[in-house]
Amino acid sequence: MKASVFKSWEFMLAAVLVVELIVLGLINPAFLNIENLLFSTSDFVHVIIAAVGLTLVIMTGGMDISGVSIMGLASIVLGLSFVAGVPIGACAVLALAVGVGAGAFNGTVIAKTDVNPLVITLAMLFFYAGVASGLPTLLDMMGFAVAGAGGFEAYQYEGISGLPKSFTWIGTGALGWVPVPLIITVVIAAGATYLMHRTRFGRFLKLIGVSADVARFTGVPVTRTLVTVYALNGFAAAVAGLVLTAYFTSARSDLGAEALLNIITAVVLGGSSIYGGQGSVLGTFLAGLVLGFLRQGLLALGISSDVVPVIVGALLIGSVALKIGMGVLGTRRANRLAYETERAAVANG
Amino acid sequence: MMKILKSRELLVLFLLVAMILAVATQNKAVLYPFTLINIVNSSLFLMLIAVGQMFVVQTRGIDVSVGAIAGLSAVIFGFALNAGMPLPLAMICALITGALAGAVNAVGVVFIGIPPIIMTLGTLGAYRGFMRVLTGGSWIESIPQNIKSFAVTRYMSIPLMVWAVAVLVIVVAVLLWRIRAARNFYAVGDNADGAYLLGINVKATRFAAFTLSGLFAGAAAIVFVGQIGFVPMQTGNGQELKAIAAVVLGGVSLMGGTGSIWSAVIGSLFLTAVDSMMIFLHVPGSWNNAVAGAVLLGIVVFDYLIRRTVHNRQLAARAAEMRRAEADQDRSTNTTETREMAS
Repeated sequence: MKASVFKSWEFMLAAVLVVELIVLGLINPAFLNIENLLFSTSDFVHVIIAAVGLTLVIMTGGMDISGVSIMGLASIVLGLSFVAGVPIGACAVLALAVGVGAGAFNGTVIAKTDVNPLVITLAMLFFYAGVASGLPTLLDMMGFAVAGAGGFEAYQYEGISGLPKSFTWIGTGALGWVPVPLIITVVIAAGATYLMHRTRFGRFLKLIGVSADVARFTGVPVTRTLVTVYALNGFAAAVAGLVLTAYFTSARSDLGAEALLNIITAVVLGGSSIYGGQGSVLGTFLAGLVLGFLRQGLLALGISSDVVPVIVGALLIGSVALKIGMGVLGTRRANRLAYETERAAVANG
Repeated sequence: MMKILKSRELLVLFLLVAMILAVATQNKAVLYPFTLINIVNSSLFLMLIAVGQMFVVQTRGIDVSVGAIAGLSAVIFGFALNAGMPLPLAMICALITGALAGAVNAVGVVFIGIPPIIMTLGTLGAYRGFMRVLTGGSWIESIPQNIKSFAVTRYMSIPLMVWAVAVLVIVVAVLLWRIRAARNFYAVGDNADGAYLLGINVKATRFAAFTLSGLFAGAAAIVFVGQIGFVPMQTGNGQELKAIAAVVLGGVSLMGGTGSIWSAVIGSLFLTAVDSMMIFLHVPGSWNNAVAGAVLLGIVVFDYLIRRTVHNRQLAARAAEMRRAEADQDRSTNTTETREMAS
């Protein structure tokens, strides 16, 4: 059992993370400043938050690429309701509710039809992004009056700034040395880990991922579980959207739209199989840190940000190829071992 | 009616015509030939990458890197033209770039066994980054403007570019119809193991699908540069998802084995037309994506409902048949029993 801890994917990721930080620190000592390191996470924790939600979904063999649009939708809902005079706390609750609702809608359609989740969430990716970008003009058309000459439409391009300090604190504040966004991320990851590994719900997710039919025949409430897990993903995406909004101190409808590659890379690099039944929230969390610090480190080294997606893409492909290679080698070794044992048994008996 | 509902291409074509006619009741300008030609003209880029995407989706794969491949091909096309290459040679360069980029995807998916979405998502980032590295992040301008002649010159008031793509699509359609190996795409997508047992080279087929996808993305890049006359960094950005939406809308199932080139053509026409219709209805452009998403969701769910109804009806018919057979059997045993009792 002990040996398997060191062989586990999560341990490898943790080792990679440590090596990465040391190497980057050796090249540029300023990088290893703890405070610096902690605060640089604020640039990318939204990816980890969304990726943790997606890990639960991918565990069931599903997929939800609409999360990146839900991030923008949550952001613009918060901003518009704030401009409309709703207290900021209620705005945040409303935005989170919209995220949960959007996720639950995805889950309902996916559970009730046999259409590929990728197709449904592709449609919803367009739909939520369109609603987010169209919402300001819709409010204008519905005749909501608001201060400012351009009406709500003006906010579509500029983003909504002037959010109160009590809100932007969740993106820019800190408790002691630890920035608030990182705390939120850890809390969400811990919650998801608990759900996945310590509850019946988590078992259901895995069972559905292994075989939805078997799960159904075993009496697992498949529909309810799927709706819940997609709703949780919507919630995580909305939280990621709000954290990013607070960090940028501006609510925009296109927030997070370019994060899709990074989110899926974090999930897959974290050890989840997109075929379902296999995944780890801790792995996703560590992979998100590896990716995020890599980006920070490269930028700190003065490497053009254009190269970063090339490296992220190569990492994504390389990690999966490595896993496949390890699988092939492992099978080969097991086969050889079995063959030799068999031959020894024949020779002895 | 049922036949239209069963052929997704016809269903979507029917919806497309219905949508245009419905909008025409509000704004007659939609029906001007100029408008319709414009819709077709602006759908060409999407149409070409969707045709490439179709091969991949038909074999049960997915290629999310097509937009990035188109961008990369466009950059190479621009470089080749600026280096003074004649137009045909530059076009070949762009096509080769596309095919090579597609072949790289194919190597990862077919020979290493990486899931298609992971492989192409990785190369999406890689190709897009590579494109920026090549150009240093700036647009390629100062391309010889004679390449725009294809898009500007009109024959029978239709741009030559539209004619060229139409001819290409028809040639490909005929080839797919007449060449026996083209059936392999369906066979591999429907049941890869079965296809293998039939002696079809599954690996070669999937390799060809990804390479063709890249090749068509290269062709799309030529159309794009020909239409606007320069290469912006956003070339092909986000188009990969639109292309997948287009083929799925047109009836290619992500589970493989269905759909045709017309799925890609009609699907991309529909998605482009939606954008234009919004303009004629004076709906702000910010709603385009919402409408496209709603249409896609509506169609796939509607399609599911039809399939389920057909399936249920078949089951019910079979159940009724079995019940009848059972009843017949009961009756015959009953008669024998009465006869036995009588004797």
